[in-house]
Amino acid sequence: MKILLAGMNHRTAPIEVRERFAVDEPGPWLAKLVASDEIDEAVLLSTCNRVEVVVTTRQLDAARHRLRSFFLRELGRGEALPEALSPHGILYEHVDSDAVRHLLRVSSSIDSLVIGEPQILGQVKDAYRSAAESGASGPVLSRLFAAAFAAAKRVRHETRIAERPVSVARVAVDLARQIFETLEDKHALLVGAGEMIEMALAALRGAGLADVSVANRTPSHAAALAQRFGASAHGLDELPALTARADVILSCIAAERPLLDVPLFEEALRARRRQPIFVIDIGVPRNVDPDVNRLDDVYLYDLDDLGGVAEANAEERRRETIRAEGIVQEEVERFGGWLTALAAVPTIRRVRDRAEAVRQAELAKWLARTGADEDGRRAVEALTRSIVNKILHAPVSRLREQAEREDGLAYLEAARVLFALDDPAAPGADADAAGDTPREPERGEEAGDPERKRRPRDETPERA
Amino acid sequence: MVISLHQLAAACYLLATLGTTLGLALPSARLARLAVWTLVAAALLHAAAFAGLHTLDPPPPLTARPAAVSLMAWLAVAFALVLLRRGRLESLAGLVAPFAFAGTLYASATLGGVEPVVAEVGGRWPHLHVILASAGLSLLGVAGVAGLLFLAEVRQLKAKRPVAPRRPLPSLEALDRVNVIALALGFPLLTLGVVAGMIWTHGLTGRVWDGGAHATWTGIAWAIYGALVVARFSFGWRGREAAACAAAGFAFLCFAVLGVEALL
Repeated sequence: MKILLAGMNHRTAPIEVRERFAVDEPGPWLAKLVASDEIDEAVLLSTCNRVEVVVTTRQLDAARHRLRSFFLRELGRGEALPEALSPHGILYEHVDSDAVRHLLRVSSSIDSLVIGEPQILGQVKDAYRSAAESGASGPVLSRLFAAAFAAAKRVRHETRIAERPVSVARVAVDLARQIFETLEDKHALLVGAGEMIEMALAALRGAGLADVSVANRTPSHAAALAQRFGASAHGLDELPALTARADVILSCIAAERPLLDVPLFEEALRARRRQPIFVIDIGVPRNVDPDVNRLDDVYLYDLDDLGGVAEANAEERRRETIRAEGIVQEEVERFGGWLTALAAVPTIRRVRDRAEAVRQAELAKWLARTGADEDGRRAVEALTRSIVNKILHAPVSRLREQAEREDGLAYLEAARVLFALDDPAAPGADADAAGDTPREPERGEEAGDPERKRRPRDETPERA
Repeated sequence: MVISLHQLAAACYLLATLGTTLGLALPSARLARLAVWTLVAAALLHAAAFAGLHTLDPPPPLTARPAAVSLMAWLAVAFALVLLRRGRLESLAGLVAPFAFAGTLYASATLGGVEPVVAEVGGRWPHLHVILASAGLSLLGVAGVAGLLFLAEVRQLKAKRPVAPRRPLPSLEALDRVNVIALALGFPLLTLGVVAGMIWTHGLTGRVWDGGAHATWTGIAWAIYGALVVARFSFGWRGREAAACAAAGFAFLCFAVLGVEALL
């Protein structure tokens, strides 16, 4: 059984391509995927930065073709890609431990556009939930996603990857918290009514800021934003009075020269008995005279300052990814151990089946030779079963234990050789031919799904 | 036993200092909280040590410098811990710990050499002087530490080098509030302590002012704080100037009360 991951992300495909492949409701797409013979389990993750499908398969090449066709013909609706792009360029594939590592990196936010951003884990959880609800995920992907969530949790708690904010709005909120104990009793003045102002206001509102005034050159725009955020709307002529009231000022308005200058702030500070003012100037060109920062109780940050803090924080996060990668590697190995142990199941079953077949054959011979009565047959049956179980107990237990180790596959191989599992002439080999062929656990088997998918085996199992 | 308790308290203050320093350096809010709990344990041990002084027969006089310094350290820690209810002030409490450590270490090293006084001259006034002045000094000391922290944070913010969000530092607003509270309570207590000292001096010498270095420098420090109180509460001083004055005023007061006799 193989794990295959295919998809595209912000590094391989531009937004105009990604949005063509984006999926709102993964359920029907997943149903199509798992209906195909070559795919056992599937989960589809679609965010604004990536569209990825992770599947389990026993026919790797066929699954590869299926996923490529799924992306280009079904999700992409067969539409041609932009000239400079080729399917090979935008789509990537990862197999087995590479696929596991990729998924764990994604859920841990190491692979995100903004490293350490918290939304991706929720999106991965939603993707898995959707697959579980549509019956597309099974024991292997359940375990894989559990490992992904565990890795993400560890990365978040054991590193500082998410500690420093990297968006301008979040930096502004954290700066405000260094100046003010709480934002709940503070008054904010927004100068302008554009998108940047709205984003910063949303972040400040999220931090508890309640009282907001909006001042704009066009009063109707100010009124619209004010209405949306429960604020009051004003014209720019009211700036002196509004500045004196404001603890936090956010400014982003088109103006050729600074609207808010030193005399305005000096007057405001006098009026508010020198209570501090935190000024965020995200206007280009700047709306606030830089000399304002020289005033003792005014803390002025312009776009470059905020961007500088955000970039420094992003650099810190990048450094933290080294530690995060270590955690991901540990979790990849842990999952690999589980997967190898899973591969031990068919081997162990075949060992038991061979032994049972030998026992049955010898018992039948003995019965034919001695013509023993029912009591004698039962006694010998119990005796032989007990002997077989006791002989097999230690090797089977050890095999199960060792299979979880890094060199577990070597033990499984040794068992196959020692018990001649691949030799059709070996005693008991007819047990395999009798249709009791070993199989790997299928979707729903571990979770006890009574309607598990059964499929005739057509090839030797591929070990992970 | 009393000295051992002082030493134990000093050890805990040192641990709290280390915890706070590491909490700020790493940064780790959990370590900062742990340092606060260590500080609470140290304050309890310190209180037990102080209560132990009264079990001695006769007890060492409160006017003896080691006992007064020990009391001052304990009051500063107690005040810093009470202030925790007013904001994210764990680091401020932690930064009082090194001063408490120095005070208790000094007390534990010198308490043994204090001569017991059977009947102190001046009745209740010497004790009142020490208690009130120590309470005032400890409050002004916390204001001084808050002032230093305020200046450091303003410097970072003005230089556009804001601290990491998880670094357990108080907000400027909380530090300024500490400055107000400490000044509003500390200056009247210091004033009452000075008055009690003058009455005590009058009982001893017949004059309210003995003209000694301790009295003179304390008087100057008191006048400086008086000016700061007027500036702060009448002229609306706040922020950087108030913080700088609180820090400088406390340094001067320490010199006037504790250092002047040793150095001059």
